[in-house]
Amino acid sequence: MIKVIAACVIGAALAGGATVVATNLATESTATAEPVNETLYNYGDR
Amino acid sequence: MVLRWIPWALGALVAFLALGPALGPGHVLRFDMVFVPDPSLRAVLSGADGFPRAIPSDAVVAALSTVLPGHVVQSLALTSVFVLGVAGAFRLLTGLVYGRGPVPATGLAAGAVTGLAYVWNPFVAERLLLGQWAVLLGYAGLPWVLAAVVRLASFPPARGFAGLVCALAPAAVGGFSSVVLSALTAGPTALRRWRDAGLLLLALVLLSLPWLVPSLVSGAATDPAGVEAFAARSDTPFGALGSLLLLGGVWNAGAVPPGYGEPVTAALKALTVVVALAGWVWWSWRARPVVAVGLSVSAVLGLVIALAGVLVPGPLAALIDLWPGFGPLRDGQLYVAPLSLLQSLGLGAAVLWLLRALPGTTSAAGPPAPGMGRLVTTVLLGLSPVVTLPGLLWGANGGLVPVEYPPAWREAQAAVAADERPGAVLVLPWSAYRGPAWSGEPVVVLDPATKLFDRRTLWNDDLRVGTPDGGTVVVTGEDPRARQVAEPLDLDSETGMPGVESAELPELLGSTGVRYVAVSAPVDHGLSEVEGLSLVVEGTDMALFEIDDGYVEATPENGSVVVVAGALTSLGTLLWAVFAIIREESRRRGPAEGPGTGT
Repeated sequence: MIKVIAACVIGAALAGGATVVATNLATESTATAEPVNETLYNYGDR
Repeated sequence: MVLRWIPWALGALVAFLALGPALGPGHVLRFDMVFVPDPSLRAVLSGADGFPRAIPSDAVVAALSTVLPGHVVQSLALTSVFVLGVAGAFRLLTGLVYGRGPVPATGLAAGAVTGLAYVWNPFVAERLLLGQWAVLLGYAGLPWVLAAVVRLASFPPARGFAGLVCALAPAAVGGFSSVVLSALTAGPTALRRWRDAGLLLLALVLLSLPWLVPSLVSGAATDPAGVEAFAARSDTPFGALGSLLLLGGVWNAGAVPPGYGEPVTAALKALTVVVALAGWVWWSWRARPVVAVGLSVSAVLGLVIALAGVLVPGPLAALIDLWPGFGPLRDGQLYVAPLSLLQSLGLGAAVLWLLRALPGTTSAAGPPAPGMGRLVTTVLLGLSPVVTLPGLLWGANGGLVPVEYPPAWREAQAAVAADERPGAVLVLPWSAYRGPAWSGEPVVVLDPATKLFDRRTLWNDDLRVGTPDGGTVVVTGEDPRARQVAEPLDLDSETGMPGVESAELPELLGSTGVRYVAVSAPVDHGLSEVEGLSLVVEGTDMALFEIDDGYVEATPENGSVVVVAGALTSLGTLLWAVFAIIREESRRRGPAEGPGTGT
């Protein structure tokens, strides 16, 4: 049981670290939609 | 008994982590996701003259909103996607591996990994950010439908059919896309026996009546231009095929979760997919689960459909031009849903392999205790969906934020509702999508005014999609009456406002049955001084005008008889199924709980 808990802690820590790294990579990359004019928008842009 | 609740509790936890702030007070607005306070059931049933895309999802929302606040209904709908999806995939895997027997801890771990992978992937994230909650509700029901099809073999026809109808309830609410996905996912498995295939077809037809009948009699057409607009696209460095294999590839760049598709996260995701596919192949070969062939066929078929818009857009457009029934095929990425279920089960199987816990693959003495390395790898594999897609965390990193409607919107809604006289509402500017300033962070959304009023609403349902070369594809809308009303107004394509002489507006609109004009964007509408139009409500982003009664030639809008009849048939079928299962379960448990059974 102790081994399982230790594995969970180590695995979760590694996964958490990787998630933080991935999240940092994720910033500044959000797509934004361009308006047709100031009030009207496309459904989306490919 | 406690163990039975684990899948549901895990689903609730995942829903909380994914939705976070979106569950707070207010309405989340994003692309197709439009919830309004106090939606009108009558307006939904009156609907539009084209394809009834909002039926029955909007009707269910409107019905629930009569007893619950609108934002609570939206939170319930979004939460249901995750809870049903996690619990369904969890139970599907454990059911296929252990049957009705006890599930060991290793099986629970594999089930949890399957459940998490099924709802935490690019498909769910992108469809959520596109606002297609009804499609996702149907997607969440897929593992339940597949399990119900598998169980058909072990039940009498009526009992099996009742279970299948209940499993299809989320798809029934979701509407046509959800039903098509259910057929694609469960159809090949059901085809093992003609009786099962027949029962599945019957259930799908009965639950599709609310939208199927009107769509067949309306003569609605689908613009083949939608193939170019909605074909799958590459959102990773691996091209369209690679993106689809990773369960992404949605047509709209604005629906890609933050950070998804970066080389590092995409490579990690690709590694996870390889492990999941290897797990599926290993499990299928070792244990031969009853869904192995059927679900594999569904996944491959779905992938082929998803690629059709990319590889052979011309023939696909020709098919849609030939018969609008092929229209749903234009949004190709939708059809990777069966592949998503296959990969989730494969990831769960990989966990079983890592823990050496697949029944029948170990010695009689039981499986050897897994080492620390295997345990840590299992935890990492289990959490890999979150690691490779952190952009879904906490309301998709701010992409799903609830907002309150401005007072002028509620005032306009109340003013129209207080008027008993017939007549439609025309929404201007003549464009479907807005970027309302009051929605907080700029977000594109279907104009909420299209669903705000308790009567027929006329709006421009043309869909404008921007292309990478800077061009625009316009997919013609499906509501002929909207076209008819708009045609004489000489609408400006840039501003979306009428170009005809203002003095002619009241007569032009009134003669086509329009009683109100709602201007749902902060534009210089120039309507305040028009004779024959009376200002009812004015705010910065909502102005409501009433056309003088003398101009209006309107007759009362009645709910569509075929829609109501179809809805009642579907509802009756669903109620019968629930009642049949409850009665059967009571009968089954009765003798077992009696004295002397020894069980």
